[in-house]
Amino acid sequence: MTTAVHQAGQTMEPREFKSDLKPIWCPGCGDFGVLQALYRALSAVGRPPHEIAFVSGIGCSSRIPGYTTAYGFNSVHGRALPIAQGIKIANPDLLVLVAGGDGDGFSIGGGHLPHAVRRNLDLTYVVMDNQIYGLTKGQLSPTSHRGLQTVTSGYGSLEEPVNPLLYTLAYGAGFVAQGTPADMPGLTSVIEEAIRFPGFAFVNVQSPCVTFGEAEWQLKAHKAQMKSLAGLGHDPADRLKAMALAAQYGEELYTGVFYRNPNPAPTYDALVVERQAELRDQALPRERILDLFRKDGGR
Amino acid sequence: MANRKARPTLSPEICKGCGRCIDACAHHCIAAGTHVNPATGLVPVTLDLERCSACGLCLEACPEPYGLLPEGDEAAAEPTGQKRPPAVEDQPDTRVALPALRPLVVKGTYASAIGALLAGCRHFFGYPITPSTEGAELMAKLLPELDGHFVQAVSEVAAINMMYGCGGAGLRSLTFTSSPGFSLMLEGLSYMVGAEVPAVVVNVMRGGPGLGNIGPEQSDVKLACRGLGHGNTHAIVLAPATTQEMLDLTMLAFDLAFRYRNPVVVLADGYLGQMTGKVTLPDELVRPGLPGWAVHGDREHRPNLVSSIQLSEADLEAHNLRLIAKYERMARSEQRAELYEAADADVLLLACNTPARLAKGAVRALREAGVRAGLFRPVTLWPFPIDALRPLLRPGLRVVTVEASHGQIEDELRLALSHAGIAPPPLAHVRRYGGVLPKEEEIVSRVLGGPERGVA
Ligand SMILES: Cc1ncc(C[n+]2csc(CCOP(=O)(O)OP(=O)(O)O)c2C)c(N)n1
Ligand code: SF4
Ligand code: SF4
Ligand code: SF4
Repeated sequence: MTTAVHQAGQTMEPREFKSDLKPIWCPGCGDFGVLQALYRALSAVGRPPHEIAFVSGIGCSSRIPGYTTAYGFNSVHGRALPIAQGIKIANPDLLVLVAGGDGDGFSIGGGHLPHAVRRNLDLTYVVMDNQIYGLTKGQLSPTSHRGLQTVTSGYGSLEEPVNPLLYTLAYGAGFVAQGTPADMPGLTSVIEEAIRFPGFAFVNVQSPCVTFGEAEWQLKAHKAQMKSLAGLGHDPADRLKAMALAAQYGEELYTGVFYRNPNPAPTYDALVVERQAELRDQALPRERILDLFRKDGGR
Repeated sequence: MANRKARPTLSPEICKGCGRCIDACAHHCIAAGTHVNPATGLVPVTLDLERCSACGLCLEACPEPYGLLPEGDEAAAEPTGQKRPPAVEDQPDTRVALPALRPLVVKGTYASAIGALLAGCRHFFGYPITPSTEGAELMAKLLPELDGHFVQAVSEVAAINMMYGCGGAGLRSLTFTSSPGFSLMLEGLSYMVGAEVPAVVVNVMRGGPGLGNIGPEQSDVKLACRGLGHGNTHAIVLAPATTQEMLDLTMLAFDLAFRYRNPVVVLADGYLGQMTGKVTLPDELVRPGLPGWAVHGDREHRPNLVSSIQLSEADLEAHNLRLIAKYERMARSEQRAELYEAADADVLLLACNTPARLAKGAVRALREAGVRAGLFRPVTLWPFPIDALRPLLRPGLRVVTVEASHGQIEDELRLALSHAGIAPPPLAHVRRYGGVLPKEEEIVSRVLGGPERGVA
């Protein structure tokens, strides 16, 4: 990996976030676009790679941290969010990004999502939603629509898909957005905004799988169908309106910010730091730890 | 112990001398102690029960679970005998003759899936993971056409618990998984062993630890044989070595699972799962009956209970004893092994799964070189087939374990020898890791006295 040497105040070029590893995604995979958008968003945010931890689960999309110069962790299938929380609590100064697929995030890891949201650490979670399992070659995913035929649903899926946008809004996320690599400036800008948002920020990216995904739901279709929320005059401070729009996930391809809490709640990591600071004066020095177990408290 | 009207007895090695019982007793039967208990370094109370009214207040006051016990607790320690007999008779399986068909040429996971179908399994719950997924995909394709059902669960945790539910109803269910997924299933397996729910788990082992890779390894032997979740658990562990055995042993697994009311693990390796081979079909298939104990959801089975919770210590101990007796029955009756050129061997190679095939090649090469080599292949890894091994262990015999793990199979051998009270013969091994299998030449050279491979 290239280590970019960064001086304070210096701006970062997108290429400084690009690692020497060449992506092994299928040519045309939507994840290439997501990676480009990330490079640009990170460049705009301007934090140097060594101040960024990029955590993912397992899947094609979860390879993404390796293609950046940030600290990367291609971790455990479905466990990116708890691992990222551990990292953020260990070092709250880090900018912690989390990424993965829809299977990783909403199926095997789905139980972690509501709790990551309500704990509200300052994390940015980017899901590359391709409505299919890519890495394991084309099985049903939790965002696959009812009736979809795959190698594990030859007669068509009997299940309703999850609605990641509506779920995260309902869980109480302070920032929820959607993008597609069919609109690179828009995708870059929602990722940048998500990173800048203080608190848990979720970006659902419609990132087509060219190999196993539905033929009619590729970038070309996105281009034709996407509707900018800003263009529709949506006010991202309006949570209920955001939920109404999010409910159309799977029918409409809205891009942009659904919801941005105008008064972001305090983040867990900030509260941790604050509480530690408050109690620091009372904290026993390490060499006096055994005083805790003395009847007189060592006093 | 709370809620019992009885005179107390004191456990001086547990009493911490807190004095709560002293305050609780209206008859001043309990006094602060004066002697330090040497086992605890604490000062237990003393009892003088002349005026004791057996009110039991001291028993309730004691915060330690065993500080004060009700007198005659031996009686209370009897199991409550909650174990229910099955509500109705078993409906036995029936066997249906199959016409003679030409052998199929299929990959290992397919052979296993076909075996499950022929064993009457119509329910599959799983989560995709390489290199096991193709077997699941075949089940997904076929089950809907066979009046069965396939579910892609949200995770292996969900899948195994779906099997808990389905098996509890007395039905046959299957999953395919691979090592990381098997790790996630261990909790569920512990519950199923505890509740005595049958199911068949095919683990196509891959390289570990962690995400590792998708090459073949045998490093889940310890999990399957020694680590099926928490508690005193065991399951029969079958280790196929050929595509044919992927079918045959999966069929057998269902038989055993229902015979013993216990999950059965089929441990294959990644190579075996992918490898294509010729498979002769059996001449019968199984039409499953319905076990009497099933919580099947009809009037007759209504009194049944499937559960792994036993709140009373005595009940749980009795339950453990019954499970242990069952494990002993399995250990006596279900050992299986294949011997190849073993009868006169001076060197016995011990291997299972794909490494056993490579070891077989090595036996032939060694025989050609004038070495009397043989192969001992455990087909059940648990119970270890010690009865078949015992007669081969004459003085002068050497055993070389060939495996794709860090001695997990050799450990099973060592444990089996130790339990059987047999002094181990000289042991050596050939081990490879990370998706690499021991090669035939490597085995031959090791037997001929070559050095062990290691990190320099
Ligand atoms: C415990 C466990 N189960 C299963 C797998 C296999 N596996 C790896 S990635 C994946 C799903 C991939 O789909 P998704 O998360 O949507 O990402 P994509 O590949 O589509 O980007 C699965 C099932 C695993 N690695 N670990
Ligand atoms: S399989 Fe699909 S998701 Fe995976 S790299 Fe190829 S196109 Fe992308
Ligand atoms: S049972 Fe009642 S009377 Fe007897 S020792 Fe305990 S508290 Fe005292
Ligand atoms: S209450 Fe229990 S632990 Fe405390 S002194 Fe009495 S017997 Fe001992």
